[in-house]
Amino acid sequence: MKINAKDLASGIFLLVLAAVGLWLNTDHTLGSARRMGPGYMPMLVFGLEFCFGLIVLGIAFFSGPDSLEKWTKLDFVTLAIAIAVTLVAYPLLAAVPGLESNWYALGISSTIGLFILAVSPGWRVLALVLAGMNIFGVLLDAGGLFLAIAAMVVVAAFADKDHRPLGVAGCVVFLIALCWWVFIYELDIRVNIWPTF
Amino acid sequence: MELLLSNLAHGFGVAMSFDNLLFALLGALIGTAIGVLPGIGPVATISLLLPITFGQPATTAIIMLAGIYYGAQYGGSTTAILLNLPGEVSSVVTTLEGYKMARNGRAGAALTIAAVGSFFAGSVATLLVAASGPLLTQVALSFGPADYFSLMLLGLIISAVLAQGSVVKSIAMVTLGVALGLVGTDVQTGQQRFTFGVPELSDGLNFAAMAMGVFGIAEIILNLEKPEVRSVLTAKVGSLMLTREEWKRATPSVLRGTIIGSALGILPGGGASLASFGSYMMERKMSKGRHEFGNGAIEGVAGPEAANNAAAQTSFIPLLTLGIPSNAVMALMVGALIIQGIQPGPRMVESQPDLFWGLICSMWIGNLMLLVINLPMIGMWVKLLQVPYKYMYPAILTFCAIGVYSINNNVFDVYSTVFFGILGYVFNKLKMEPAPLLVGFVLGPMMEEHLRRAMLLSRGDPYIFIDFANRPISATLLVICALTLGLMLSPALRKKKEAAMAE
Repeated sequence: MKINAKDLASGIFLLVLAAVGLWLNTDHTLGSARRMGPGYMPMLVFGLEFCFGLIVLGIAFFSGPDSLEKWTKLDFVTLAIAIAVTLVAYPLLAAVPGLESNWYALGISSTIGLFILAVSPGWRVLALVLAGMNIFGVLLDAGGLFLAIAAMVVVAAFADKDHRPLGVAGCVVFLIALCWWVFIYELDIRVNIWPTF
Repeated sequence: MELLLSNLAHGFGVAMSFDNLLFALLGALIGTAIGVLPGIGPVATISLLLPITFGQPATTAIIMLAGIYYGAQYGGSTTAILLNLPGEVSSVVTTLEGYKMARNGRAGAALTIAAVGSFFAGSVATLLVAASGPLLTQVALSFGPADYFSLMLLGLIISAVLAQGSVVKSIAMVTLGVALGLVGTDVQTGQQRFTFGVPELSDGLNFAAMAMGVFGIAEIILNLEKPEVRSVLTAKVGSLMLTREEWKRATPSVLRGTIIGSALGILPGGGASLASFGSYMMERKMSKGRHEFGNGAIEGVAGPEAANNAAAQTSFIPLLTLGIPSNAVMALMVGALIIQGIQPGPRMVESQPDLFWGLICSMWIGNLMLLVINLPMIGMWVKLLQVPYKYMYPAILTFCAIGVYSINNNVFDVYSTVFFGILGYVFNKLKMEPAPLLVGFVLGPMMEEHLRRAMLLSRGDPYIFIDFANRPISATLLVICALTLGLMLSPALRKKKEAAMAE
């Protein structure tokens, strides 16, 4: 039997999502076909999604072989630790005064998780690009736009092995100048430019 | 006819205003740039620039975004011909004959016919949009809620069927998109659905965050994961002039490409890439120079390039007349319109004449600009390819981050972009096509509204959708839906599609 691992995973993904959707939808009143309540359309959509999940799962056993990329042991371990740390860090950080607002807890905890993920070479590109963006979100309000851009570019630059310090510095200066011109001078968006710690 | 002329005159008045000209030029320039650069496409770029356009009037914003889409069709051919590297999906087939022509020393001729062919096709298709728009609008105004629902269903199904990869998975992605569209406040009862108590979600998932994450951010990660291919320009551009013989061979191909491109562009789920492919197949079978295919036949450049640009223009027809997006780029346009407070639909021609006619006229002006931008300045665009990706991706990332933040001045949107970036990455690894997701997400809420209205009118009887006697439109559309699905499930046709996609 030639199993298509990609289809198998897609099928499971769809089934889980549909099941969660249907379960969450139990909170909403269904109504009748004539007078549909807020839960009627979700029921139809997630029901359909569930069916498609089953079909994709069924097809997976005949459409292969198409295997997923090989995961190393390190990939598994870092992913598990990253998720665990994020889940533990979030409620802890949310309890710290000053961090409960502005989604700081979410941003910081997921950034920590992404940095753990970056330990494994298989996840490094993904983790560092996304961590860069997260850091931008965390720094923007208190650190100001320029600091946030600089931090994001530096972190994301580590995702590409070919980057040299001078090139990254040039990137940072160029992007800060460009963003100042486009977003502050031309579009005048409301955001702090300099740190206000 | 007279009405059409006076409307077009009005449109030119709108399109010729300084701001609109400037933004059409800006769109055309950006479009050409991203068309030339492989690794960033129109969907990612338009979602990236969506927030920047919010400050502009709706007409100006749409004019610029449209310019990016058709500008990319011009730019894509440049890299395809000179470097054998498709800058866009729609110019994949141009590499086949175009690069061969370049190696035969006819790169200049290939570039000229690509640009001139595109310009001709773009002009014809623009006229088609102008002429058919008001007519289709008349038809659309007689649509009831049931008809609308069926039409949207058809749009969803065809956009899934024509997407790359497995049909079942694409339809599942459309459904997933509709499901994601459910998040937020239920319009009729005001109840919060799937918001998890997060106030930021009560208006629904942020459309721009989703598009940027799934297309922009995920693309960056995927591009960085594979080693960069640096191609060096080996062929000389040479003379831009075509010989008389070449004109004679290319002209019929341009005409055929224009027709097939215009037709495939209107189709829901159609668009530039399907059109260029269709035209290539046709030229290989029908043109006089078909025996030269594989050795640099000019027909293989002229036809597909005309077709993809024609389709880029005509794919606006379903959007402007029915309010239904036919592909991911058009879904982004709907998003842009809704954020500007305009509900796309048949009433747009009457209620937003500036937008409708101004856009059409600016398309023609934009095509003219592109002809100038592309041909004499070709050397400049080739230089753009020297910029390594490692300097491009930090810029894309920065624009994503600031852009998505500036929509609501809320960092929550930055984190949702990160979330959708992960999702887009997973979709890619599992070979789940993300474009139908976007179409589903945009159409989902409208479908729910029309479904509810239709069922209320029929007192809960679903027969209203297939009632041939009283509602022939809806019933016919549903029959087409069923036929499309049936056809795709037949093994013979599926094999053909797989073979076509593999080439």
